[in-house]
Amino acid sequence: MNFFEGVYTLFTNPNYMQSLFKGLQITLVISVAAAVMGLLLGTVVALITICPDSPAMKIPKWISKIYITVIRGTPMALQLFIMFYVIFTIRDFPEIVTATIAFGINSGAYVAENIRAGILSVDVGQTEAGRALGLTSGITMRKVVIPQAIKNVIPTIGNELIALIKETSIVSMIGMYDLTMAAKIIGSGNNMASYLIPMSVVALFYLAIVYMLTFVIKKIERRLRAGDKR
Amino acid sequence: MISVKNVYKDFGENGEIKVLRGVSCEIEKGERVVILGPSGSGKSTLLRCMNLLEQPTGGEVWVAGDLITAPDPYLYPEWLKQSATYEKMLRRNKKEDEALEEICRNRLLSKREGRAFENMRKAIEKEKRLDINLARRKMGMVFQHFNLFNNLTVLQNLTLAPVELKLKTQEEAEEKALELLRRIDLEDKRDEYPAKLSGGQKQRVAIVRALAMEPDVMLFDEPTSALDPEMVGEVLDVMKSLAASGMTMVVVTHEMGFAREVGTRIMFMNEGVIAEEATPEEFFKNPRHPRLKEFLSKVL
Repeated sequence: MNFFEGVYTLFTNPNYMQSLFKGLQITLVISVAAAVMGLLLGTVVALITICPDSPAMKIPKWISKIYITVIRGTPMALQLFIMFYVIFTIRDFPEIVTATIAFGINSGAYVAENIRAGILSVDVGQTEAGRALGLTSGITMRKVVIPQAIKNVIPTIGNELIALIKETSIVSMIGMYDLTMAAKIIGSGNNMASYLIPMSVVALFYLAIVYMLTFVIKKIERRLRAGDKR
Repeated sequence: MISVKNVYKDFGENGEIKVLRGVSCEIEKGERVVILGPSGSGKSTLLRCMNLLEQPTGGEVWVAGDLITAPDPYLYPEWLKQSATYEKMLRRNKKEDEALEEICRNRLLSKREGRAFENMRKAIEKEKRLDINLARRKMGMVFQHFNLFNNLTVLQNLTLAPVELKLKTQEEAEEKALELLRRIDLEDKRDEYPAKLSGGQKQRVAIVRALAMEPDVMLFDEPTSALDPEMVGEVLDVMKSLAASGMTMVVVTHEMGFAREVGTRIMFMNEGVIAEEATPEEFFKNPRHPRLKEFLSKVL
């Protein structure tokens, strides 16, 4: 069986296709849900970390700091294992939810740092100008600083989302049926008995998803940069 | 209008950089006060303390009869007399005046000062203190680096604050904004983003953005220092016409010509204090302070 024959078999065999799409579905669901969760969590944590020091913010700030340090300092695979085998050990708890939470929490820490950097990169003069007009710090943040920060963080957030999508492949390590797992099963001895073809095809799948995402991010970026053109 | 009472400002972790060392001044309505001085003398810091962009380390700032900083006990002998430290000193056979003086000199009040003292301080704070955001509405500020909102068009820059603070409806604010833009001949730039404007245009827009709030006083923090020489004139013209309309102005600048022509009073700052204060004629003809003489000989 040569390579192209193999690819042809893979795409024409309904069983193989079904496996691939089942895997694709799980990869996409985990990616999208974790991305949403990560963005929300990251934004909240970033806002907490840039708040000026005050007694009321002391504990939230402390928690945020520990969260970011621990999540960024430990391997994703380990976090996933802990989530599965230590925290969500209830029988029949949907594993897709567990995986989403694990990836969402992980992504949130990186997004928080990106957003924090984005907000800090906005010139302090912008805030001062807003405050000098009598605007509250909340309005200044919302109307002036955040819109400019978003523009600055889109590229790095895009990077983070791309990394997240590819990182979801490690759910196959705990036996979940994602794209990578599908490739592994299709390539196994009982089926095609060759990993080369399904692995290459799945690689193309990932590539296609990431490429589309990159395209969308570029579009958003271009639109947001409308005010910068000289 | 604005009264600054014995303001101190330190920077650095332990306050080791002392920028303002006890500045007091009054800005009356209709005055155009120009603040001159060598760099690092605290001119900009003083101006920024007036609208609390910089929080003074000590002293008080009053705006139109309202206190905007926390009250400073050292300005009120009757409070100091309520303090535990004062009582302790009297018990050690100090005279009243001596005790007060020593407290002020040593700033002993960082220690616990007793309930009567705290209550008095809190009462004054509650009665007189004005929310800084309300005070700032009445004080326009123009920055050295313009600080136009980069994500908003020229027109939106002018309407943002009046509309967000519900002082005007969107239509009213736009009408006023267009009138102001007409005054500086930039009506055709209403829908441009700041990035497309020249430095001079940006600074003119920044001035009318402050005016859109209809302030009682305008603070200028070196408004022409970041401009190409060619563009200085257009900005100064706008400021001159503003002065002619009777606006109260406090201007930190290096433009001697402007100071002489427009100012009603000039303050010379040196090493964190106001070293000399005079009318423009007096200031340039008869400088008394040696540092001022040196300064003028270099810049004129």
